[in-house]
Amino acid sequence: MIPHYWYNINVDLPKPLPPPIDPYDGDSRIALLMRILPSELLDQEFTALRYVPIPDEVRELYARIGRPTPLFRAVGLERALNTGVRIYYKFEGALPAGSHKLNTALAQVYYAIKDKAREVVTETGAGQWGLAVSLASSLLGIKATVFMTRSSYMGKKNRVLFMRVYGADVHPSPSELTKYGREALRARPDHPGSLGLAITEAIEYTLMGEGRKYIPGSVLGFVVLHQTVIGMEAIKQLPEEPDLVIGCVGGGSNFSGFSFPMIGAKLRGEGFERTRFLAVESEAAPKLTKGEYTYDFPDTGGLLPMVKMLTLGHDFVPPPTHAAGLRYHGAAPALSLLTREGIVEARSYGQDEVMEAARLFARAEGIIPAPESSHAIRAVIDEARRLPRGSVIAFNLSGHGLLDQDFYERIVG
Amino acid sequence: MEIRKPGLGAYITATYPNKVLFLNAVKCLSEVSDFLEVGIPTLNPKYDGPVIRKTHFAAELKGLDAINVARYGIIPTILMGYIEDYANRLELVAQVASEVGASSVLFPDLLFEHIDRLEDYVVTMRNYGLRPSFFVASNTPHRLVNLLVKYEPLFMYLGLYAATGIKLPLYIERNIREVRRLVDGTTLVAGFAINSPEMVRLVINAGADAVVVGTALVDKLGNGEECRRFMMELRGGLA
Repeated sequence: MIPHYWYNINVDLPKPLPPPIDPYDGDSRIALLMRILPSELLDQEFTALRYVPIPDEVRELYARIGRPTPLFRAVGLERALNTGVRIYYKFEGALPAGSHKLNTALAQVYYAIKDKAREVVTETGAGQWGLAVSLASSLLGIKATVFMTRSSYMGKKNRVLFMRVYGADVHPSPSELTKYGREALRARPDHPGSLGLAITEAIEYTLMGEGRKYIPGSVLGFVVLHQTVIGMEAIKQLPEEPDLVIGCVGGGSNFSGFSFPMIGAKLRGEGFERTRFLAVESEAAPKLTKGEYTYDFPDTGGLLPMVKMLTLGHDFVPPPTHAAGLRYHGAAPALSLLTREGIVEARSYGQDEVMEAARLFARAEGIIPAPESSHAIRAVIDEARRLPRGSVIAFNLSGHGLLDQDFYERIVG
Repeated sequence: MEIRKPGLGAYITATYPNKVLFLNAVKCLSEVSDFLEVGIPTLNPKYDGPVIRKTHFAAELKGLDAINVARYGIIPTILMGYIEDYANRLELVAQVASEVGASSVLFPDLLFEHIDRLEDYVVTMRNYGLRPSFFVASNTPHRLVNLLVKYEPLFMYLGLYAATGIKLPLYIERNIREVRRLVDGTTLVAGFAINSPEMVRLVINAGADAVVVGTALVDKLGNGEECRRFMMELRGGLA
């Protein structure tokens, strides 16, 4: 059964979310949001509702792409670990674009069309978001333009290919198409790109033409809101309340989408009282464990309003990693606040230990996990070895890794 | 002094554009408004939109000196400042507010960034014979709003948009209704980007007890007659 509502955790947070603000230089970024974002998304960003109705059209689209996604008992992994800990995972990789990103791509493209947009523009890191937007745009009959971080554009050729199959225009970022892209290339011709820079390029490109809307893949509140469809389903599917809930964090949308409905219940005293929540990030972009909680731009160029979040700084360029989806300098404001308050625990892992986990999971469960999701798997394995027998872990397997050839080539050598 | 319902309030930044015109504006607005909000000029008006920010930067005097140029209280007057500026000087703000005839001091950043000072703030207000008042956003946690109501504030101020003076495509009626439900009988004041009698009517009909106009008033402050006419026009929305 597909949920009728998305869940807005902002109204249940232990402290209020500080509002977005404008810097003191240049034009108002808050006012800019009106020009670039579909209007309904802005409303959702500030809604007073705890439960936001999912439009019937979007629920139908969710059904068409295979929601609800399955929740599996990780029988093979449990057997391999032999720790007596029961493990469940929600498999968002079952969606046709291979990751959870489609949950918000469909909603955002739907709202863009309601605003009479003829084209949606976005950024992508590993390509999961770009692929989801390309697919959603194809289903809904609208053009998609995607700025993809250059290091991923070179390394994830299959995702670029399939975005083009869906009809999208894909550009490596930094690109020659925008002022910010050209400046970045001038400063560093071998610039690997960053998600923050790709966001800036996508926004600039949106403003360059008529009938375009910008749709973001993570961090902003409405993205997290749409992703809560994962957790709303999971609550119904889980046969028992977990002791530990785990997900990986790039900007925070998959972890938040999976865990927020449960965290919300815990904050309201309506269940999950003994559940811990663990967010896992890459050592390449450790904002949750090493970032500063401050106002910062979500994008490198500072075109968006500043939000209060755990951040490594908007000009931080993470080193290239195979988990490109985790190469982002900040974490969603609500997730940042929950981490600061100690309600969400955070941990970071390096690439090698994550690869080992991916290999173990693939062989035990038969599913090739995405490099990003493999960070969560690493934590699941470590925690399963620490927790008492009979404990229960639930995690979000946010995507499959069938298009992450570069990552798996390194694993098998 | 309670806020009149339905009511129309005016926001002005103290000593903007200068001391003389500010004093004229206080006098004029006291005749055509039901309450007054007076901004304490700050160097960091971070939650404000570009127009109100300019008034802070251009104010002739800064900080509490700017407040002290006038006496208020013909109509309920609330000082507005950033608690960030007065983290260790709450008593001083309350003392000045009390001396100039204000009823409360509203700190928009109290709940968002200094919630650990909440009890302090309430106690300080009461010690100086003032009432607390609270600024909330549409997505402020419901449980917190319920808690704030128990402090019996002079009013709860709902910021309708993300920043003063910047209108976004939000369903503000729905947000007002939701917050109204949470605050129950507490006076609910709404503001940000109020600029027409139609908008005043919409906000009042959705459940607010009073509205505040600020940004739309800024360019009329130098001309008493224009300012009066604009406020009277907005009052049409209260009927």
